[in-house]
Amino acid sequence: MGSYRWNWPILLEDPYFGWIVSGFGNTCLIAVLAWLIAFPLGSVIGIARTTEIRAIRLVGTVYVEIFRNIPLLAQMFLWYFVVPELLPEDWGRWVKRDMPYPQFWTSVICLGLYTASRVAEQVRSGIEAISRGQRFAGLAMGLTEPQVYRYVLIPVAYRIIIPSLTSDFLGVFKNSSLALTIGVLELTSQARQIEEYTFAAFEAFATATVLYCAVTGIVIVAMRQVERVTRVPGTITIQA
Amino acid sequence: MFAGFDFAILVRNAPFLWGGMLLTLKLTALAVTGGLLLGVVLAVLRLSTIPFAPTLVAGYVNFLRSMPLILAIFWFYTLIPKLTGQSVSSFYSVLIAFILFEAAYYSEIIRAGISSVRRGQIAAGLALGLTNAQSMRYIVLPQAIRNMTPVLLTQSIVMLQDTSLVYVVGLRDFLTTADIVAGRDSRPVELYMFVALVFLVICFGASRMVHRLRRRYAL
Amino acid sequence: MIELKGVSKWYGDFRVLDDCSMRIARGEVVVICGPSGSGKSTLIKCMNGLEPFTKGEITIDGVSVGAKEAYLPKLRSRIGMVFQNFELFPHMSAARNIMLAQQKVLGRDKQTATIKTNELLERMGLAEHASKYPAELSGGQQQRVAIARALAMDPIAMLFDEPTSALDPEMITEVLDVMVGLALEGMTMAVVTHEMGFARKVADRMVFMDQGAIVEDAAKDEFFGTRRSERAQQFLSKILQH
Repeated sequence: MGSYRWNWPILLEDPYFGWIVSGFGNTCLIAVLAWLIAFPLGSVIGIARTTEIRAIRLVGTVYVEIFRNIPLLAQMFLWYFVVPELLPEDWGRWVKRDMPYPQFWTSVICLGLYTASRVAEQVRSGIEAISRGQRFAGLAMGLTEPQVYRYVLIPVAYRIIIPSLTSDFLGVFKNSSLALTIGVLELTSQARQIEEYTFAAFEAFATATVLYCAVTGIVIVAMRQVERVTRVPGTITIQA
Repeated sequence: MFAGFDFAILVRNAPFLWGGMLLTLKLTALAVTGGLLLGVVLAVLRLSTIPFAPTLVAGYVNFLRSMPLILAIFWFYTLIPKLTGQSVSSFYSVLIAFILFEAAYYSEIIRAGISSVRRGQIAAGLALGLTNAQSMRYIVLPQAIRNMTPVLLTQSIVMLQDTSLVYVVGLRDFLTTADIVAGRDSRPVELYMFVALVFLVICFGASRMVHRLRRRYAL
Repeated sequence: MIELKGVSKWYGDFRVLDDCSMRIARGEVVVICGPSGSGKSTLIKCMNGLEPFTKGEITIDGVSVGAKEAYLPKLRSRIGMVFQNFELFPHMSAARNIMLAQQKVLGRDKQTATIKTNELLERMGLAEHASKYPAELSGGQQQRVAIARALAMDPIAMLFDEPTSALDPEMITEVLDVMVGLALEGMTMAVVTHEMGFARKVADRMVFMDQGAIVEDAAKDEFFGTRRSERAQQFLSKILQH
């Protein structure tokens, strides 16, 4: 390490500081937008996998298996390079030429659909964790199946899966780094770029690392609060 | 849509692609082995009573789980040559990154597996006159290993997919070789779909086997 | 009022219920007993359509449970069910547990539902626990809330699936007392239980099941007097020892 010349101040200079800020901004933006796709879609698919109707369950299973068995990077390439070719002519042309920020939106959609499969699995295990008796009790009162889901199963299932959903949410932040492979200038790619221009490798990567850790820390603290607020009185929860 | 699908390109480049697959498999195997060994050490340290050990391990695990794998790869790829002063091949830099990164995840799985064995089991063992070490060996570990094996295997399948990230440092794994061919011959559809299909078959098949294993050996 | 004709149920190759037929008239209290695995829980769950059955017919007040046109939620809203594990909804207070189905199934407005809920909680002696959550209540209290929850629907009949089996001995009495009260008021009840003391007190008829079949179906005095079947004799002698 003797020959390494430290150069922290360079990070505060233009344009490097701007790169870090915009990179971090992109990371957050991709993550949040992808989550906005993943959470609702994943919930629907997860619930679908718990119904009695085999056909619906099968659709859910196929979705989850496809998205979880192909590496995320391969999925990214598929969305960016292959899907435009497979679309009907007009759409393909629009995507390839006229769509604004194609790399950005491609990565959002890719990440969103992938994360949806993870959310689906969490929702499914949350619902399956609830004893059958609860479902019976709801039905025995005359509630319809949708009502049983709405009043009995879903409120409890989502409380159970808060920790694992948190982990998936953080996963979206981390996976946003894959967008750099199709050219999106998110945090990790900006750190690399700074390293290439200034040779301040350690400083650049350390900054990115600190920012990722900060996001993780903030999210975990926030979710602990959510858990506290939604906790059912009288139950003992395990502090993660 | 598939009118112009060119299978021949896959055949022509089969050796090259196979070379990439070999690298993927090699990297996965080494990373899984190394990661497991390190993971066991970390888990044991975390559960031990050695002063500071649990906290340090927890810090390490949480730190590595907060960052993206790509960033970890860049760290080691740029830093290891600087640290050792020599040029290390990218394969070994990346391998070290993977081992250290995945060990964090493995150690959590192992720790959870050991903790999942009910305390009453240890008490029962001690009540029979077994020592702590014997209880560990005959009662706790067999159960823990049965519980954690499916999860460890699943994590290893994830590992197989994670190796595709070596793309960012140009290491020629299966996905990267496919990408090279796709770029060179302008046939992204065939190549990427082929890669996706191969991974789909391998990973789905492997997870089915894990599922069956779990059903047969679950406690 | 509740009639079962030749009800059989297969679970794959395993026959869970074997040609069960019985009748529960209005106001009757029928106790179903038998060793574990005899199918009594399954039988009672078939009565309100929670468990499907392979063969046979079940009618409640003339409406067939198995028929495709039977709108099960409506049917179930007229029959109350109490479960062995109470199955109160853990994320709702006792009062809300009782109010939920009144509002969402019967369509009662909040005020009416609240009045009914408070009435029932008073009756159970649980008025001051109305806003407590299940985790804050004892087993006996939870089961009494569960009974109130079922009664809130003004059911024509009540089904009990081993209501006291999961309770500590000291709490069994408080729940049985409530059930005795219901029986004396004329509620039609089908109760799966091991509590023979309760049966002797309020049952009109005893049904003994073994290996999925109804082995004996007799009036209470006959059952406890001259036990006809050997199997029932065996069973009773074992459980009456405690």
